[in-house]
Amino acid sequence: MSDPTPRTRKRPLTPYLLIAPTLIFLAAFFAYPMFQGLILAVYDDEAVLPILDEASLEASRVGELPQGAAVNILGQQGNTIDGELTTDLLTEQWFRLSATDVDGSDAEGWAPESRVRVRDEAADGSPIGGTIRPKLGENADPLTPLFAEPNERAEVVAQLEQRAVVTIVDETLLEVWFNVTAVDDDGTEISGWAPSRFIRAFESGEEGRVDRGSDGKFTSRFIEKMFNDRFFGPAWQTTILLMVIIIPLQFILAMAMALVIHARPRGTSGFLYVYSLPMGMSDLAVGILFFSIFTSNGLLNSVLDFLGLVDGTPIYLSADTRYWIIIAIVLAELWRATSIVMVIIVSGLQAIPDETLEAAELFGASYWQRVRYIILPLLKPSLQVALILRTILAFQVFAVVIALGGGEIVTVLSNETYRQYFELRDNNVASAYAVFILVLSLTSSFFYLRTVRTNDAAAQR
Amino acid sequence: MTTHAQTSDETADAPLQERRARPTWGRVATYIAGVSIGVWILFPIWFIFSMAFTTREEVRSFPKSVFPFTPFSTDTMEFFLSVDGVTSGLVNSLIVAVLTVVMSTALAAPAGYAISRYLFPGRDLFRLGILGVRAFPVVVLSIPLAVLFIRANLFDNIISVALMHTILTLPTTILVIASVFASVPYELEEAGQVFGASPWQSFRHIVLPLVVPGIAASSVLTFVLSWNEVFAASVLTLENRTLPALLLNQLSQSGPAYQFAGGFFLMIPSLIFMFVIRKYLFNMWGQVSK
Repeated sequence: MSDPTPRTRKRPLTPYLLIAPTLIFLAAFFAYPMFQGLILAVYDDEAVLPILDEASLEASRVGELPQGAAVNILGQQGNTIDGELTTDLLTEQWFRLSATDVDGSDAEGWAPESRVRVRDEAADGSPIGGTIRPKLGENADPLTPLFAEPNERAEVVAQLEQRAVVTIVDETLLEVWFNVTAVDDDGTEISGWAPSRFIRAFESGEEGRVDRGSDGKFTSRFIEKMFNDRFFGPAWQTTILLMVIIIPLQFILAMAMALVIHARPRGTSGFLYVYSLPMGMSDLAVGILFFSIFTSNGLLNSVLDFLGLVDGTPIYLSADTRYWIIIAIVLAELWRATSIVMVIIVSGLQAIPDETLEAAELFGASYWQRVRYIILPLLKPSLQVALILRTILAFQVFAVVIALGGGEIVTVLSNETYRQYFELRDNNVASAYAVFILVLSLTSSFFYLRTVRTNDAAAQR
Repeated sequence: MTTHAQTSDETADAPLQERRARPTWGRVATYIAGVSIGVWILFPIWFIFSMAFTTREEVRSFPKSVFPFTPFSTDTMEFFLSVDGVTSGLVNSLIVAVLTVVMSTALAAPAGYAISRYLFPGRDLFRLGILGVRAFPVVVLSIPLAVLFIRANLFDNIISVALMHTILTLPTTILVIASVFASVPYELEEAGQVFGASPWQSFRHIVLPLVVPGIAASSVLTFVLSWNEVFAASVLTLENRTLPALLLNQLSQSGPAYQFAGGFFLMIPSLIFMFVIRKYLFNMWGQVSK
């Protein structure tokens, strides 16, 4: 209430040093993730798979394929593994061999595991010796080449005869790359190489499709997915419905509470304590509280039974009685979130000079006239603040709805965000929901500020 | 209908006092309204308390006894505390709330001091930015932070929940602490310096003792906000749940005894909190809602 009385001091650097930790913290844990989150909603970091002209990450790009594109697999080749070694990776093993080549000289080079029959193993199971497998087929080249590097495109350093005895000096694991041809989005045929981890090969081994991309792209896919989600319609409709029912009732109730406090009955501080009790309550606790009232053998039925008004136990919170769930949520939210509105209104009431109201009373204004023509207009700024606050909070209603509606029968936007994130593990669509809530909150705040300002301008004319 | 909706201080205004002594219909209506609203607020709390302290049979039975706490028993409570994960959930909630209070206050105290004591270029922008952060829905911030924490290998760690809660509470804490500092006149500090104290000494010996109660109240508020928060805690944890996150996820599979006892535990801090801060309530929200 009391406005700070700031002073300028000689050292102008001090305030910046004092707010610096807060700024750094907010930048790291608010601004940066917030930005990332907004990006998540419109950016698919697995959207496209670049196709390279050679089986190497440094090779140049010949084109890119969207996720899901069909490809023909022409061949495959090993390549050093880039990134993590995951269990489902399609791999090739290569051995570094030391042997005598066809010319009789000693040679050392790399050959794929498929060319070597391992006959000797060390105690730990790693291969240390073997022979070159014979090649099958009549026209096959009987010699097996050794490469300078574990790559079939590398320089051939030696040729080995079949069944030659070799010593295995070293081994390495390579990721298989596929040589693919496919038609891209623009209809042009492209042909090149891509790591096998991004391509799901079908049983024949000759066809497949792009499983996921390795490169990102901006897309409206997630936003469309959100709009087409079967829970999206019910979620936003219920959110708005709850808001439209709750906020007016809440303001009437809060106004009544504030006027009671303002009338200063005996024990005002007691009233104030009780009225502000729900303010600190967890929304989940309040959800449970109202669940205990509305559940079929709960408080409501117990009281009705005591008064002899019901037979048995009517069920309120079920899929067939959605309106009862809505009523329960409305009551729970009224119970829980009216206190904060009341506190803001009481603060506003305290700022109205007593003389103004006394003057009105002297001139014969009735209580309702005073409320209508003096208190309400003077309360406008407080009401506006409370309205913005309540609307933003109304878009976030969550635990109360879960506790009373189970999250499926009656659902709201924040619950869908949670479902997308937690059950469906779709961070992108969850972010799209979050952005949707953000846009709604900002729009409504802006709308309230705008409306009140226009009214002020009209009043000044 | 005449009522004294607006009266000034009771002892100061004799004629009004006189009129108030005569119970008018308006006066009666005020009391009726006041008491019925009070009953509306207290009744559900009373009910869940009586459910939390009775036998499990009574919790399941129908119709429930009209009198509270009959039969009185700690059976429900004992059952709740013996359920797997509840004690660790309570401990986690406690750790998260304490960490949040420490981080939030450590960051907010200097910032609050700066905006209440200095006029510097960018001060209004800073205040506005703080309010902007506060206006961001929790739901909106939780998902990006979860993604960030997964990348930083902090996922399912209660520290990540405490960091998240610090962001949520920081704006409020800064504004409340600023208002607390603003309530201590700068002249007092100046006077200290006139008598030869260094700026730090006059802060330490004059301002600090005066603001400690206010900062304590703001810490209590921060504690309760963190204790109650359920969305971010559910999004950021999997195994190391805080109590609200644990309750939320077991709600559909648990019986009423578990739910009521859990609800009771969630409510305790807020009841204490409202009692502690009732003096500061209007200072806080008056300031925050500006």
